[in-house]
Amino acid sequence: MAKANLGGMDIEIDEDGFIQEPGKWNKAVAEDIAKTENASPMTEEHWKLVNYLRDYYLKFEIAPPVRMLCKQTGFDLKYIYKLFPGGPAKGACKVAGLPKPTGCV
Amino acid sequence: MATERKKIRLKDISIRTDEPLITVTADDLMPLPPPLDQQGKKAPYSPLSENQKKSFECSLDGVSALALPKPKNKEEEEKLVARFLSGLRKLLSQNDNWPFWQPLIQSLESCVRCQTCSDACPVYVSSGNQEIYRPTYKSEILRRIINKYIKKRGKIITKLTGDDIKLNWPTVARLAELAYRCTLCRRCAQRCPLGSDNGLIGRELRKLFSQEMGIAPKELHDSGTVQQLKVGASTGISSAAFQGMVEFMEDEIEEKWGKRIKIPVDKEGADILLIHNSGEFMSWIENPVAFAIIFEAAGLSWTLSSEIYGYEATNYGTWYDDVQFARIALKQVEVARKLKVKKMVMGECGHAHKGLIVIADRILMDEMNFPRESFLPLLEELVCGGKLRLDPQKNNFPVTLHDPCNVVRLMGIVEPQRRILRKICPQFREMEPHGVENYCCGGGSGFAIMNSMNFKEWRENISSRMKLKQILETFNDVLDSGIRKYVCAPCSNCKGAIRDILSSNDLWEKNSIYYGGLVELVANAMVDMKRPYIDWEWH
Repeated sequence: MAKANLGGMDIEIDEDGFIQEPGKWNKAVAEDIAKTENASPMTEEHWKLVNYLRDYYLKFEIAPPVRMLCKQTGFDLKYIYKLFPGGPAKGACKVAGLPKPTGCV
Repeated sequence: MATERKKIRLKDISIRTDEPLITVTADDLMPLPPPLDQQGKKAPYSPLSENQKKSFECSLDGVSALALPKPKNKEEEEKLVARFLSGLRKLLSQNDNWPFWQPLIQSLESCVRCQTCSDACPVYVSSGNQEIYRPTYKSEILRRIINKYIKKRGKIITKLTGDDIKLNWPTVARLAELAYRCTLCRRCAQRCPLGSDNGLIGRELRKLFSQEMGIAPKELHDSGTVQQLKVGASTGISSAAFQGMVEFMEDEIEEKWGKRIKIPVDKEGADILLIHNSGEFMSWIENPVAFAIIFEAAGLSWTLSSEIYGYEATNYGTWYDDVQFARIALKQVEVARKLKVKKMVMGECGHAHKGLIVIADRILMDEMNFPRESFLPLLEELVCGGKLRLDPQKNNFPVTLHDPCNVVRLMGIVEPQRRILRKICPQFREMEPHGVENYCCGGGSGFAIMNSMNFKEWRENISSRMKLKQILETFNDVLDSGIRKYVCAPCSNCKGAIRDILSSNDLWEKNSIYYGGLVELVANAMVDMKRPYIDWEWH
C-alpha cells in the first residue's frame, strides 16, 4: 500500500487516494487532500460539507445517501461538484477521510 | 490509419512476456452514432503506470481488474499453477461442484467451434472483434488444458492432435483477468445452437480463482460479500443507519406525496417482505421511496426489514463464489422466515433476481425454500389492474427500456414491464434489439462497481459501448437538448453503468438524456402526487 505525506504525517492511501488510517484524519490532512482534488483552498462551504460527512460517518461508519447529503447541507449535486470536482463520493468523502464507497452505488 | 493487427492464437496465452498480448486502440473500436460520431479518436483505456505494471499482472490486454500481484519467484509461480490445476479438477468433479457441474460439463463438451456466438457478444463486437474477447477463446483454452492435463493419456493425445496449450503462470494469470472481460450476460449462450454457455464457463473460472486461490476483485469480495456478512450490506449500511434512512424516506414521501406515512419495518406476518439492493438507499433513494408510495397507495400488506441481512438484496457470490453465495442466501431467507411473511419480493436488482430467486433454489431445502418473487408481475397487477390512479400525460416524454439480462434473458420476465410502460408512458419506444435479445449495460456481473486502475475506462469504452450505441440510436430523432428523455433501467447495477456512460459523454448536459428506474415512472404518473416525482436533477 502506498503512503502519502498529508498534514505532516505519512498516511497509507489506496490507489484512488482514500486514506486507509481513519484515525489519523484531521483538518490539516483534509486541506492537503483537497489540494489533490482541486478543492483548495477550502472555504466555509467546503467545511460545511466535510463536517456533515464526518458527523454522519462517526455515527454510522459509512457515507450518507447522496440525496440526504444534498438536503441536509442545502447544496444541490451540481454545486457539490463545483466545490469538489471529483463529486460527493470520490471528492468530498475522500477529503473528509471516509472510506471509499462500496456496493452497487 | 489502422495498423495491421497481429493475429492472436490460442497458444499465445502461454507466452511469457511483460507486454500485453493485445492493446485495444481507438481505431479498433466500433463506431458510435451521433452525437458521438464526431468525437476525436481516443484510446479506450490508459496504459497502467510503470509502478502498476511492475506490481500487477496485466499481460492480457494491459488492463487490471484484479490487481493480481506478480509472483515473486518461480517456486511461487509453480505453486499457483498447481493450485489452479487442483481447483480445475474440483470444478470437473460432480461431488465437489454439485451446483453447476451439469451445465459446465454440457457447455465444455457440446461446443463445435462454429463461432455463432461471437457476433452475439457485445464485448467482442465493440472492441473490433478482438480474438481474446471471443466467447470461445477462454473456453477453448480451458478445454485444451483439461484435455491435456486432466484426461487420461492427455499429454500424448494433445501432442498428436496439435491442440497443445502450455499450462504455466502466464496462462493462469491471463485466464484470471479474462474471466473478468465477460459480463456473464449469456447472450452467447442464447445464440448457441447447442446450448453451450460460455458465460457459465467464465463464471466457473471465477469461482475456481476465488475458492481455490483467493483471487477475486476486491469490490466483489473484500468490500462486497465479506463486508455484507460482517455488517449486513455490501454498502456497509448497518441496521442503525438503515433505520435513519427510513425516516429520511418518510420525509421525502411527505414532501412529494403530501402525506405523512409510517413505512412498515419489521412488520411480522405481512404478506410481502420487499428487499432492495442497498445501493438504492445510497445512490437512488427515490427508488425505494417510489416503491413505498405505490405499495401504500395500493393498500398492500408489506414490510421492509431492518434486521441484519434483511435490507440487502445483493449477493455478489452469484458472480464469483458458491460458498459466499450460499452463506448470504441462507441468511437472507432466514430473515424472511423469522418475520413470518408470506413471500420475499425482489426490488429493482437484476443479480438478486438471479441469485435469490433462481440459483438459491439449488441450496434452499424444505422449509428454507421460501417463496421468492420478482417485483414485476406484482407491479403490473397494480398498474394495469386499476389499483392506482394514473395519468400517463405526466410522463409525456420519450422513454426507452433497458432489459437487465438477469431478469429478462435469464428469467424470461419480458412483458410485465412493457405493459406497464405502454400504459403510463405515451412516448415509450423500444431499443433494438430488446427483450431476451437485449444487450448488457456493460456493467453486468459486478463490472459496474469495479473501478480498479484502468478497468472503469475499459468498461465505459468497451463493455458498455453497445448499450451506449443502442441508447443513442433509439433517441436519434429527439437528440435536441430541449427534449428530456428517460432511459428506464430497472436494476441498480445497470443504472450505475448507464449513469457512467451518460455522464462521461455529457449526454445529460448536451442532449438531455436522463436515466432511472421503473417505479419512479409509475410514481411520476400518479394523479395525487403533489409535485412531479422525477426531479431530472441526479445525473
